[in-house]
Amino acid sequence: MTLKYSLIALAPLALALAGPAAATGKMTCKVAASDVKPQAELVTALTKQGWTVTKAKPDGGCYEVYGTTPEGDRVEAYFDPVTFEKLYVSQRGKVLFQKQ
Amino acid sequence: MPSHQTRSPDARWLLWLALAVPSLWLLWRAGQPDADPDALANLSGQVAGVLLVAAIGLTGVARVHPALARLVRVRRAFGLAAFGTSAVHLLLYLRAMGALKPVLAELDAPGIWTGWAALLLLVPLALTSTDAAMRRLGRGWKRLQRLAWPAVGLALAHTYIVHDGQTLAMAMAAVLLLLQITRFNRGRTMT
Repeated sequence: MTLKYSLIALAPLALALAGPAAATGKMTCKVAASDVKPQAELVTALTKQGWTVTKAKPDGGCYEVYGTTPEGDRVEAYFDPVTFEKLYVSQRGKVLFQKQ
Repeated sequence: MPSHQTRSPDARWLLWLALAVPSLWLLWRAGQPDADPDALANLSGQVAGVLLVAAIGLTGVARVHPALARLVRVRRAFGLAAFGTSAVHLLLYLRAMGALKPVLAELDAPGIWTGWAALLLLVPLALTSTDAAMRRLGRGWKRLQRLAWPAVGLALAHTYIVHDGQTLAMAMAAVLLLLQITRFNRGRTMT
């Protein structure tokens, strides 16, 4: 019976490891797919502003960008895929910017 | 310590080797031209976290049933593997950052200092993991090794905050909490 406890104990870990790592739900953008501008355009615009982009991908309908800001902070940032407006910037879980 | 005599040296080496495999693989993978440094830094942290929880959780698992009591003997191997993998995690993190400036810039972020603090707490534990240190420190050894608890607390906070690690952190916390039930096991087999 006590063996059962240890199996129960290990179940959540197994679930977490098996679980999907998809949409994080940090930000969602509700826009028409036809209005969405290419991701490469956003990366180009950010690079021009002094960002170093290491990775970009769609997430929750927005564009999610990993990289270094012009200020030298390593961040994860969300942008509107139509207007490229900055929505959310987080440095290792510390929210540096959030659109009101 | 009869445990060391009854256990064949081959089996022990095999265990140490098996526990070193994730770290060796991560280091090898990081050297490949198509490596994703961020993803590898993330993954190494997750592996280190699981090993740390395993090392600490083993005490509880061993309390579950006398047949499992022998598992305490592999606790040191898991603890050192957790420390080694954490060191690899730090290395891969620094590599993903690429420069010292952004590393220093985020030192005060809660998702980051918790990780540094957890690793620093593991250093004295790893250094005193030898039989000789255990003898020398006597009763103090156990007190010192209890630092594993604040270390795992910080590591879980780090996992939770730093980047999309909520599920894993909660799962690991749940495992440790549930294993605390075994403290009330009447057929206690270890101290």
